[in-house]
Parts: sequence; structure tokens; C-alpha cells
Amino acid sequence: MLQVLLVEDDPELRQMLRSALEVEGHQVRTAASVAEARALLRHALVDLVLLDLGLPDGSGDTLLAELRQHRSTPVLVISAHQSDGRKIGLLDAGADDYLTKPFSIGELLARMRVALRHRGTTLSPSITRYQHDGLDIDLATRHVSLHGTPLHLTPTEYKLLARLVRNTGQVVTHRALLADVWGPEFTEHTHYLRLYMGQLRAKIEADSAEPRFLLTEPGVGYRLADSGASPTAAAHMRS
Amino acid sequence: MDTPPPLRPPAGRWHHRWLALAAALLCLALAHGIARALDGTVDLANLAMVFVLASTLVAFWLPVWASALFTVSGVALFNWAFVPPRGSFSVEGHQNLLLLGTTLAVSLSIGWLMGRLRQQADLARRHAEQARQVQQLGEALRAAADPATMGAALHTVLASMSSESPQGAVLMVLQGELPATNATEAATWWGHPDPDPDEVAGLWLCLRQGRVFGAGTGLHSELPAWFLPVRGPQPERSDAPAASTTWGAAVLRLHTADTSPDPQTQAHAQALCDLLGSALHRHHLTRRTEAAQREAQAQAMRSALLAAISHDFRTPLASILGAASSLETQSDRLPEARRQQLLTQIQDETRALAAMADNTLQLVRLEAGEVALRRDWESLEELVGAVLARVRRRDPQRRVRARLEPGLPLVRVDALLLTQLLENLVDNALKYSDGPVELLARRQDGELLLAVRDRGPGVAPAERERIFQMFQRGRDASASGRPRRGTGLGLAVCRAIANAHGGRLSLRARGHGGSSFELRVPCPAAPTLAEPANPAEPDQGA
Repeated sequence: MLQVLLVEDDPELRQMLRSALEVEGHQVRTAASVAEARALLRHALVDLVLLDLGLPDGSGDTLLAELRQHRSTPVLVISAHQSDGRKIGLLDAGADDYLTKPFSIGELLARMRVALRHRGTTLSPSITRYQHDGLDIDLATRHVSLHGTPLHLTPTEYKLLARLVRNTGQVVTHRALLADVWGPEFTEHTHYLRLYMGQLRAKIEADSAEPRFLLTEPGVGYRLADSGASPTAAAHMRS
Repeated sequence: MDTPPPLRPPAGRWHHRWLALAAALLCLALAHGIARALDGTVDLANLAMVFVLASTLVAFWLPVWASALFTVSGVALFNWAFVPPRGSFSVEGHQNLLLLGTTLAVSLSIGWLMGRLRQQADLARRHAEQARQVQQLGEALRAAADPATMGAALHTVLASMSSESPQGAVLMVLQGELPATNATEAATWWGHPDPDPDEVAGLWLCLRQGRVFGAGTGLHSELPAWFLPVRGPQPERSDAPAASTTWGAAVLRLHTADTSPDPQTQAHAQALCDLLGSALHRHHLTRRTEAAQREAQAQAMRSALLAAISHDFRTPLASILGAASSLETQSDRLPEARRQQLLTQIQDETRALAAMADNTLQLVRLEAGEVALRRDWESLEELVGAVLARVRRRDPQRRVRARLEPGLPLVRVDALLLTQLLENLVDNALKYSDGPVELLARRQDGELLLAVRDRGPGVAPAERERIFQMFQRGRDASASGRPRRGTGLGLAVCRAIANAHGGRLSLRARGHGGSSFELRVPCPAAPTLAEPANPAEPDQGA
């Protein structure tokens, strides 16, 4: 059973999400504003936060900053529309993933599962092995193979892939990838990312135009398909 | 020989006068010398011609009155030195008297004629100069996009006319409405950085009254400057307040020694000011018209959106409500398969509604010019991949196929908008056709071509342009007879997105039936990969 904090100001959506999560066996606390959420976080133990962006008293970035000072509790951001740029800021500031309204319960649960699998990644060892659909990446031995055939990656390609593996199933923003693979002064050099992702797709994907592993989130970043069940497939199945 | 320009007497004007006088005296002395030399070899009438010549020469540079004075002195000298009895002013014989009289009359006439000629030449030169200034200012004003540039153009001309250039002219132009009190910040100022308070008060007065005053104008003539209103076209009705068409005012400082400023120059300066006034008036009218057009467009958009919300959005809502209420009231009587069908219907309609909301939102923002494109270097392969991932849900039979030319360059676009465009086109193709749908990207004629092609019934030639307009739908000519729904916003959004990227979206009928929606976007040179020498070591332990 998980303790979930749901920060959402719309009563209908709050009620619906609450009951859906309770059916899954989680205990849900709800808050309708940043202030209320902050008070709850001070007194209650929370395993996961669902944070809506359009709250009456702020976008939640201060809440996230406060939370990240002490805890690595996963935070899923819920944004009202695709073009809301604030979610990228929150992702860069340490939020785990995002969902765009409207979303299905299936999508929500899949994102939550991935986020919980990564819970505590800043404290405990992170995921070092990725095995999905014939692709095998072992970060401990730096070995990558596809259907048993070893793949030869350049050092930069490998670093890029390894960064995505550590957040398997979660979106990693352009900025985060550029900063971690090339260095903080390269966060604006998106074209590096495009070219190296293109090379990786050519080596890993059967059809580069319809990738199964290296998924693109336009305007946000990339996601390595969840090795448990790919998020889109899960969403499809449950929706 | 140069006449001083109208307002700015050349430095050392008096110095010039002395030089002119000295030259005239030299001329007289020379004439006298020559006459002396010729005396005895030619007759008196010929000697007189030497003096006539001297008078004529002197008339080239002396003013008319001075040249007349000089002529009289020359004739007197001739009389004294050469006309018998020599050494006296008395004249012997009618013949000599006639000679003296004729010499004087001819010399004076020539001097006067020369003076007239010079005046006319001066005037012509001044007119030419003024015409040039008017033309230059006119061109500068036409080329200027904003009042600040226009004001600067006039100020440059006025300063060049002033005696104390470049600080000899101050120009002010109102930024908006005429303020109740003289507030410096209500106007834009050019010229002296710290103008004289009296001058500033004068400028405000000139602006409020819309009247010219200062030296030689009959109003505050004691001032050593001209105060010129910057007037727009005069109102038709004479009782309209003058200030309502006055956009600003200028002061032009005159040379303090210039006791009689030239009224023509003043009229010229006023004409220049009015030129700015007219330009500001035109600018204001254009802005107002544009604002009115924008308002009308926004109004049309609001009406159209209201129509969309009240009609098109209601259809999926009706479907959702119908399915949900059916589940609520008839659940126990419905077979399991039907219940699943209704649940799926609710989800599908909700997604359709979300897409419509996205399109509506994007269209309103694009049409209002509110969207700042978040352009970045994007890979078409990735964008196409993202679109395919999203449309597969509506494409269980996998009708959509992507065909990308290998090695496509990166494009600088807004990823979210471009994927929305492609998704709309693919959705459209899936909706209006039954066969395969092709999503194609390739280079063509230095541009990037993105096309979505189907083998549907196609669009009638008369409708090929119309379907890109808001709330227009293609006639349902599908053989399948499937009901088509939508807001008719999809293609309008696509075109707005294409335009915002400097691209073109058009529809081409395909050879063996079907439609090809084609987007062409410029293909800029992508940045090269200047790989950093030492990519940061990824933090393996994180």
C-alpha cells in the first residue's frame, strides 16, 4: 500500500483520481493548493506526489524545491495542455515524469509504477540493467547487445543510452541529457542530441521512423520504453 | 560670389564685405590706370567704356545699392580726371555732358540688371535646395516605420537649417493624447538635451495653439527664433480646434544678428514640419485601421468559435453523455459486449474532444499572433516517429506508413506545433479515406517536403482552397458513407502552423486518385557538430 499525495484543485477530478487509486489499494491524501500540500508534506509520510500545474496559489515549483531539499519522493506533474512549458521547468528541477490532461487511469498507473521503481535513485544504486524485446544493456559491464548480437557504440552514444537506461520508462529532458552527457555548458546544443539519437536509433531500432525503444516526447525530451511494459502499450491495454 | 544661405550667414560676413569693397576699389583704381594709359590715344567716349566695364564687373559681387554708389563715384572720377576741364567736376560742352549722362545711365542699368539676375539665381538656388530638403525628408518619412524615426529625420533637417547647428533646433512630438498640463514625458524630444524653460513653454504653447510665432511672423516677433507647429492635414470644418491635428512643435533658433529673417525660409521650415505632421497623421490612421481590422478579425474568430463550441463540441459531448447514461440506467440489461463498446465510445469521443480543444486553442493563439514559436533543431525522423506513436491508437490496421529519405537534415521548428500539424493531416487522411496513408519526408528544390497522402475520393477542385479555412469541411464524398465529424478546424490550424514557420501547406490531387497534403518548409543550414573535446564523464554512481 502506498501513501499518495494528490494535489489537484478540481474537486471532480480529485474525487475520481482518489477513488481510482484507492481501488488499486493505495491510501490517498488530497490537497487543493500548494499551501495545503506543503502542510501535509510536513506532517505525513508520502510515497508519491501527483502535482497539478494549474493550482490557485502557484505552479508548484516552490513545493518541489522544498521537497527535493530533504526527500527523493517521486513527483508526477499533471499539466493541463501539451504546450505548457512549465512542466519542463519542473522536470529539470527534479520532477520524475508528467502526464497531460486528459489521461487514462491506465497511463497514470503505468507512470506511477515506473516512478516508484526509481524511488530513491539518488540514495540507492540505480537501475543498471535493461532487458526488453531483445535489447540488452548492462551498465555494469558496459555491454550492449541486440538479439544476442553485440552492438558497437561510440563512447558518446553509450553515455547517452546509459543516461536513458538509468531512468528507464521516464522522460529525460533535453537539458538533462545534454548536461549529463556533454556537460552543463552544452545545454542549448540540442542538435548534438538529435544527431546522436539518430545514430542510436539506426543501430538499435528495426524501423527508425517508428522506434520501439527510444521514444521521442516532442518539445520535452526522450524516454526509453519501459522494460516492464511499454507505457503506450500499457495505456492502450487498460484504456 | 556665394550668397549666404538663408539662415546661416557665413562666418565673418563683415570680413567678406570689406574684401568686396576692397576689390571694388581695386577695380576702380585699375580702370583709372588703364584710362590714364590710353589717354591721348583714344577718344573720351572710349575711355568712358573702361569705367562702364569696371561698373559692370563690380556689379557681379556688390549689392545693387553699393554697385549704384560705386557707379556714381566712378562716373564722378571719370568726370574729374578725364572730362575737360580736367581736375574739376564742371563739364565743358553738351557732347561731354551727354557722354557723362549716358555712361551713368548705362552703368546704373547694367548694375541693376546684374542685381536682379543675381537675386533670381539666388532664389532659384534656394528653391532647389528647399525642394531637395522636402524630397529627402519625404523619402525619409515614407521609409520610417515609427514616429521616433520620423521625428529624428525632421530634426536633422531643421538642425541643418539653423544658425546654431546642431543644437539650433528642438523638436517635440506628442506620444499620445495631448496632456492637460505640460508634461515633458508626454512627448518625445529631439535637439538640445537640456532646453531653455522659456523655449519649452513656447513649444507647448505653439503645440496647443497650432500657430506659428516668432521673428517676422507678426506674433511675438521679438523672439530670435521661430516656433513652428507640426500640423497634420487641416480639418474640413474650420471651427474644429487647431490643436486636434497638431502632433508636435519645433523651435528653430535664428542668428541673433539676422534682424529680418526671410519669410520664405520660414514658410519652408513650416512646410517641412507639416510634412512630418502629415506622416504622423498617416501613421496614426494606419495604426487605427490595423487595430480595427484586428478587432474585426478577433470578433469573427470569437463568433466562429462560439459556433464551434455550441455545435461541434456538443456532438461528441452528446455521444459521451448518451453512452454514460445508458451505462448508468441500463447497465444490468446490456450484454457485456455492448457495455465494453459504450466504454470505448466514451474514451474515443473524449480523445476527439481533447484534440478539438487543442486545435481550437492553438488556432486562437496562432491567429492572435500570441504564440512565440519554440523553435529548436529537430529531427524529422523523431517527429514522424512521435506522430506515428500517437496515431496508432486510431489506426489498428496499421494503414499509416512512413517513408523518409535517408540523411534528412535537421529542421528548425516548434516540435509540438509541427507534430500537431502532421497528426491532424494523418487523422484527416485516416478519416476521409480507407486505403493506405503515406507520411513522406524528403528534400525537394532546396526545401523540405512533408506530405501526407491517401487514396481517398479526393477533394473537388473548387474546394481545395476552401477546406483550409476555418470551419469548412470537405463534402463527404466517401464511398464508404461513414459519418464524418470534426470542427473543421484541423486544416485551418495546419495552415496557421505552416505559415508561422514560414512554410506553405497546400493540397495536390494525386495522379490515380486521392489527395496529397504537402507542407514545404525552408531548409536552413543546420549547425555543424563541433563535438567538445572532452564530453563530461557520466556519473555512473547516480
